[in-house]
Amino acid sequence: MCDSCGCGDTHVVPVDVHQRLLAANDRVAAHNREHFADHQVVAINLMGSPGAGKTAILEATAAALAAMDDNAGLGVLAGDLATDNDAIRLRAAGIIAETITTGSACHLDAEMVHRGLHGIPWRELDYLFIENVGNLVCPAIYDLGQAANVVALSVAEGEDKPLKYPTMFRKADLVLLTKVDLLPALPDVSIGRIEQNLIAVMPKPAMLPISARTGEGVEQWIRWLRGAGHPRAARCVIGPSATEACL
Amino acid sequence: MHEYSLVQSMFDQIGAIVRDQGALSVRRVRVRIGAAAGVETELFRTAYDVFRVRTFCDEAPLEILDGGGDELTLEQIELEVP
Repeated sequence: MCDSCGCGDTHVVPVDVHQRLLAANDRVAAHNREHFADHQVVAINLMGSPGAGKTAILEATAAALAAMDDNAGLGVLAGDLATDNDAIRLRAAGIIAETITTGSACHLDAEMVHRGLHGIPWRELDYLFIENVGNLVCPAIYDLGQAANVVALSVAEGEDKPLKYPTMFRKADLVLLTKVDLLPALPDVSIGRIEQNLIAVMPKPAMLPISARTGEGVEQWIRWLRGAGHPRAARCVIGPSATEACL
Repeated sequence: MHEYSLVQSMFDQIGAIVRDQGALSVRRVRVRIGAAAGVETELFRTAYDVFRVRTFCDEAPLEILDGGGDELTLEQIELEVP
């Protein structure tokens, strides 16, 4: 009520908020990150368009680690709109995997990941991959509590994808250029041009050509992975042109 | 499409403030969105128009201010208070 005359008029008052729209998500992401740090689990947010080869990379990762007699615990939370297909494939490859069914949602958020953790023995893992919903737009802006963002980009997707989806590639710590075994069938595709486009948008360009089919690049990917999230461990830095330096 | 989920988060934030202040309604919403925020402003506006029907924001126009980089913030709301 109006204080001055009791007429019942209301007032309009401005309230300064200055809060990120994703503040609630950021709080849960920070909580996830604390969990991962406490249990020394390296969480990787693996993103990319549908069919970029995200699941195949994880299958190849498990196979390569087994071949190296490395018994690192791998787990995956696989975001999927409608099916359990990826988790079924991953479990067949010996990886602990659960699906986060997103329904119509085009991305995972920190709360979905937090709930997903309840379904897997994540504390026993060395690496938790959060295989995001196949999409180059929506997943980019949601912090999940990960140590690093990895984006899978297949050679068949088009050289200009980094320029068309700059937010996604700007957030990437590493871009895996997947399906390089297809290059002989794609004479018009230039790795050099993809690399130039990545350099144009990524603050610290890092690209690794890889093929889950032939195994090319998988060893280098595993070296990178071993350094991810472990600031005191040997850290392999992959630069443009896939030049690699282990510090 | 994540614009819908962002607007939903924003309604949660606004709803908490409305309850806290005992407000009758919201008269204006100001957000700041940077060019690199990964948000399509027109889609955000559409999502807002879908969500606000029959809510405390029914009569509140949405004002989108240009932000820097990936800025994505609820800047200010105007509340109708008794």
